[in-house]
Amino acid sequence: MNSQELTTLYDKAKQKNAQYKHKICVCCGAGCISSGSEEVLKKIQEEITARGLENEVSAVPSGCMGPCNQGPLVKFLPDNTIYQKVDCKNIQYVVQRQLIDKKPIEDLLIFSDSREKPFLNADEDPFFKKQLKIALKDCGDINPEEIDDYLNIGGYSALDKVLFKMLPEEVIAEVKHSRMRGRGGAGYPTGFKWETVYKYVSAEKYVICNGDEGDPGAFMDRSVLEGNPHRVLEGMAIAGYAVGASQGYAYIRGEYPLAIKRIENAIKQAKKLRLLGNNILGTNFSFDVQVRIGAGAFVCGEETALIASIEGKRGTPSPRPPYPAESGLWGKPTLINNVETFAGIAPIINQGGEWYSEIGTPKSAGTKVFALAGKIKYSGLIEVPMGTTLRQIIFDIGGGMQDDGEFKAAQTGGPSGGCIPAEHLDVKMDYESLLSLGSIMGSGGLIVMDKSSDMVDVARFFMEFCMDESCGKCVPCRVGTKMMHDLLQKICTNHATKIDLDRLEELADYVKECSLCGLGTSAPNPLLSTLRHFREEYENRIRQFEELQP
Amino acid sequence: MSMTKLTLQIDGRSIETESGRTILEVCKENDITILTMCHLKGITDVGACRLCLVEIEGVSKLMSACTTKVADKMIIRTSTEKIKRYQRITTELFAAERNHVCSVCIANGHCELQKLAYDVKMDHIRYPYLFPQCEVDTSHPLYVLDHNRCIVCTRCVRVCAEVEGAYNWDVMNRGTNVRIISDFNTPWGESITCSDCGKCVEACPTGALWPKAVVQGQLNKAPEFISDLIEKRKMKL
Repeated sequence: MNSQELTTLYDKAKQKNAQYKHKICVCCGAGCISSGSEEVLKKIQEEITARGLENEVSAVPSGCMGPCNQGPLVKFLPDNTIYQKVDCKNIQYVVQRQLIDKKPIEDLLIFSDSREKPFLNADEDPFFKKQLKIALKDCGDINPEEIDDYLNIGGYSALDKVLFKMLPEEVIAEVKHSRMRGRGGAGYPTGFKWETVYKYVSAEKYVICNGDEGDPGAFMDRSVLEGNPHRVLEGMAIAGYAVGASQGYAYIRGEYPLAIKRIENAIKQAKKLRLLGNNILGTNFSFDVQVRIGAGAFVCGEETALIASIEGKRGTPSPRPPYPAESGLWGKPTLINNVETFAGIAPIINQGGEWYSEIGTPKSAGTKVFALAGKIKYSGLIEVPMGTTLRQIIFDIGGGMQDDGEFKAAQTGGPSGGCIPAEHLDVKMDYESLLSLGSIMGSGGLIVMDKSSDMVDVARFFMEFCMDESCGKCVPCRVGTKMMHDLLQKICTNHATKIDLDRLEELADYVKECSLCGLGTSAPNPLLSTLRHFREEYENRIRQFEELQP
Repeated sequence: MSMTKLTLQIDGRSIETESGRTILEVCKENDITILTMCHLKGITDVGACRLCLVEIEGVSKLMSACTTKVADKMIIRTSTEKIKRYQRITTELFAAERNHVCSVCIANGHCELQKLAYDVKMDHIRYPYLFPQCEVDTSHPLYVLDHNRCIVCTRCVRVCAEVEGAYNWDVMNRGTNVRIISDFNTPWGESITCSDCGKCVEACPTGALWPKAVVQGQLNKAPEFISDLIEKRKMKL
């Protein structure tokens, strides 16, 4: 296929879509499927056929729409009306009222159980209104299993643009200009990473998409892969063109079977249309993507461990330098980016780096996807401009605390991050501000806690996670996390003294400074940040125990 | 790769050397002591024991001397109070992790871990002993694998793969549950890859691997023999 044929394909997809007056999207992300959305979709399709509307209305599965705890979600386009907690029993009623009578059922609309008046157009609801979706833009509006749906919204036009109108250097310059930073957690400037890989001379280079999302409570990458896999593939292919790689690997954790299925399906479809594979769009550029499935080790999200895993070795990290950009997979220059990073590439190419760089804050450009979890009213997936405050995220978008509880702290960055207490609710969510509070942006997990949470136990929980996930290669992480966990356990059960707390702090500093990879160096973060903001909780428990001593 | 001369500073001493070498190699040549445990000259360095961490000016992280290459004008500090403190903690954690009881250990008096404890002046251990239940594999006709004494330096794994080419040893499990395994975790005596060469035993720094023919206090390992072997093989090429 060449560029002209792609245009014909766009027209075809448009024509096909234009025949439908309505499109019904049923969220078939892992969250909604678990609440029975596949059955809902089947019932809706049956209902459409029974009413003889199959030429006017298309009912398709879609990716995540955001408010995951309200599922199954059903969206009616073009009205953009979302129904929540849809039950198979009242589908007939919903279809009748929404499509035939044009009288939407207010009691079943999204957030109808908590808002005085729910919104007919979901985009007017504060949950959606305050968001800005770039990576998640079409998730929830398109069928992730059909490439036509992606082509209909201009899919692969960014790839077309770079192949015919841009030199690799120009692509890199555009990404640099966007000031995008890696969305995997560390926030390394994406354009610079691309440039580094580009500069190394090698006949073989690789592009790896890191989809080994392992933080407890994080599901951003899963939702992107499930909801819009082609966008990730397009980003990878553009990266391949820019850095000079012809082979890509999508490394996805084994706990995400649906994401794996959808990306494999997407690769097959893209290859069929020659949007991946040899001589893409008739050019000399070839780029293939293979899926590699993680076997459940958190540490394989660390780039050197991930590479070892792809090479078929035990997934353990190795010291850097050499960085993967110089010597990565099979010893060749390798570009590793996170799923969300790749999902942001096509919009940057299409709308320009300038456009992207103007979103967010001066040091953190663009938007960030957060997975809201914990004691928040509307948990789920949101995307906001960098620099949005924590208060806006929790209270404006997330609807505030569950059962009107009192906010205590929010944990960002999972087991590598820290907590943000109530006095810092107005912190801007960007890389630097979070770092200054002793937390990190991380991959975007955001766990909200109310007064019932015990912060020592929170620290213990994350330390247990790191202890279990430590690969055991280096001593500080292997033994240090175990010792710290045992000490935290001792504090939790009110058996610790002041000396134990001193040991704990000494170990935290040691593990942070001496560990081999990011898992170890960041493992003490939840402990250190709870000590920083909630030290009295540790000291109270110690005092209680010491007072009991004779 | 062409070698270029470069000058660097280690602990205040100005040192001339060539590019391509590790900090550890340069320190050894200049009689600057760097504590190591997972390093064995000649086999691939993995930077796992974290004893050889050094401070490099302008680098925010501590770097392992065994895996970091020297660069021109590098300013390196190997024995600051901070580094000494960390070395001591590492040693204590080694000692507390498994069951290192010198008085009843075959390697008593010839053990690198014991020597390390003397070097860092470890007079007591501030962390609770974990006392794990570890297996002793006596199934091999010539050698014993005692997990109680193992510090998971993986020198045996690398020697077996890189020098002997037998690939008998590997690592399984995670965290403090890591274990050195023979083949796919079969008893060592039933291994189909082990060539009984004994290089792993010589490479082992502690009493985790030892020959059955030795009685307590008589064990004398020669890990330098492995390094020698590698050197001589290189000369032949």
